[in-house]
Amino acid sequence: MNTVLEAKQLRKEYLSKVALQGLDLQINAGEIFCLLGQNGAGKSTTINLFLGFIQPTSGAAFINGLEVAANVTKVKEFLAYIPENVMLYPNLTGLENLALFSSLAGFDYKKDELIYYLVQAGLPAEAAGRRIGGYSKGMRQKVGIAIAVAKHASVLLLDEPTSGLDPKASNEFSELLLKLSDQGTAIFMATHDIFRSKEVGSRIGIMREGELVDVLPAATLNANELESLYLNYMHV
Amino acid sequence: MKKFWILLKFEWLNFRADKGLLILTMLTLMAGLYGIYYGTTEIQRQRENIAALKVLTEHNMEELKAKYPDGTDAGDIGYYHSTFAVNNPDAWAGLSLGQRDVNPYYIKLRLLNLQSQLYDTENINPLKVLSGNFDLAFVLVYLFPLLIIGLCFNILSVEKEQGTLPLLLSQPIGLPLIVSAKLTFRMMIVLGLALLLSVVAMVWGQVLPDLRVALWLSVVVLYCLFWFGVAFVVAALQKNSAFNAVTLLGVWLLLTIIIPALLNVYIAVKQPMPQALELTIKQREVVHGGWDKPKRETMDKFFAIYPEWTDTTEIQGRFAWRWYYAFHHLGDVAVADLAREYQEGLQARHQLVEQLNAWSVPVNVQTIFNAMAGSDLPSYVGFLQSATSYHDALRDFYYPFLFNQVKFTNADYAKEPRHRFTSSPDFATVSAGLYKLGLSVLLVFVVVFFLFRNVKLKVR
Repeated sequence: MNTVLEAKQLRKEYLSKVALQGLDLQINAGEIFCLLGQNGAGKSTTINLFLGFIQPTSGAAFINGLEVAANVTKVKEFLAYIPENVMLYPNLTGLENLALFSSLAGFDYKKDELIYYLVQAGLPAEAAGRRIGGYSKGMRQKVGIAIAVAKHASVLLLDEPTSGLDPKASNEFSELLLKLSDQGTAIFMATHDIFRSKEVGSRIGIMREGELVDVLPAATLNANELESLYLNYMHV
Repeated sequence: MKKFWILLKFEWLNFRADKGLLILTMLTLMAGLYGIYYGTTEIQRQRENIAALKVLTEHNMEELKAKYPDGTDAGDIGYYHSTFAVNNPDAWAGLSLGQRDVNPYYIKLRLLNLQSQLYDTENINPLKVLSGNFDLAFVLVYLFPLLIIGLCFNILSVEKEQGTLPLLLSQPIGLPLIVSAKLTFRMMIVLGLALLLSVVAMVWGQVLPDLRVALWLSVVVLYCLFWFGVAFVVAALQKNSAFNAVTLLGVWLLLTIIIPALLNVYIAVKQPMPQALELTIKQREVVHGGWDKPKRETMDKFFAIYPEWTDTTEIQGRFAWRWYYAFHHLGDVAVADLAREYQEGLQARHQLVEQLNAWSVPVNVQTIFNAMAGSDLPSYVGFLQSATSYHDALRDFYYPFLFNQVKFTNADYAKEPRHRFTSSPDFATVSAGLYKLGLSVLLVFVVVFFLFRNVKLKVR
């Protein structure tokens, strides 16, 4: 299998607090890895290390074999990112925001193509020309999804991506992830949503106090077993 | 490079959609245009008044010619005939009025004592001093920093506060490229506006295309760069937008108001000025005392200065113009030291301002603009000296008529000397100021470079 996303003894400390304890992880092309954990467990720290927003204290993160810390700009050609709360330029329209981020990623889409990506992400076509300042959180999230999809990245980093989406939109998002996975995209999703993880994940990791305490194949568990296991880890 | 242009394009889209920034930019543009109008109109008004003075002199001569058709004693002409010493404005004065609207730009002169005539018009309109000049130099020196602050106070913090920085940095671009694009865009707006207004003012003011065009534009660019540097030092601290705005406005207040006010107090204490009024009163006392002194005593003192008239006819009777002008002349001699001290005091005070203006870049730039436009204090002192020389020339012209007792005829008016003076730029002050300005810009950008190299970016 082709390993796209890899962490080797990845560790991050903030002063005396250990945010991530020597993470070892490999995520292959076409795989969806869902990382469960409480707030402060180290999920966002892991994503920030893969994005190069913070430097590891020790160990290394790799994307397509390139060490992130040494190739901060280069690795971003391969990855797309959807944060928990997609924040965009409020004075620009959805279309202009998508055009900006796509063109920075190297894609000069025509207006029709931009609208296609926005609609595919679930945004009504008539909203595309309106300023982001008037969008709801869910609508912004959909523009964020469109930005990620339009980038045709081999890695997708998601930090609570369905936060703020209604159930229908969440379901459509799950379908989109499965479709991207089928196309070979490696997906890393930090989430609190156990049932969504079970629904889309290939593997599910459980993180507690900066440590990856378990990795489970999603196919071997049902949702109730997963929830029970997760709660069990959280109460230890 | 392509990504740089993409970022520039989206900076433009953001700018275009931000009503606050558009209003701020438009207000600065309108203030600049008004400044140009104000400056050029003031200079035009002065030119019209100066042109009217010529007519007034002609009219005065026509009246005297009609009154004395067969000629008369030159003393009558010296007393009733007035002429003017005029400080013609340089075309650049419209861009930077400096002291042209507070100091007199013409002095009415008769053959009487000089010093009181020089300072007769030395009264300042306090309302004008209070409001200052709203010329282009004012807009560039005091208002453009506010535009730069308005455009740059949240240059990075806004990306963090609106949460767009993580998404932006998840694209294959580095922070230096983002910062460069933001800086370039803002510089294009500010420098474009400042240079456009400068060129409009030059065309409107009909300045000659000499070295000063390049000097003025260089000063404008360097001054704007200085304020961009200050804004970037504050941005590099990575505080929130409110902190940045308050800090930058504090720096503006410090450099444009507080430091100049402190310098003013220091200069007033360090270089106290003798008052021109004191000089005028002393001279008046000497001149009035001349009526009561024995004529022989007065004339002996006068002949000691002008020995060439010693052998002229002795003064007879109660009154003679020769004696009258002699004791007026001695009035000037009595206050010569005070007059020199006064002008030296003005020069010394200006030199002190030039030394201390390194503490405030806006004051330094205002000094450069005034020196370039010939509207500063040394230029005014130059005018006073020129008026003094002119009055000496009038004496040299009239004294032979008086002391040889030759009748002054209507044909002699044409031989009377005329005053010519146009304020000129002081390139020594300009180059010294440019040097200090360049150092200020260099210093602030060294700090920017140091901070951006050593401060770690906080994405969230």
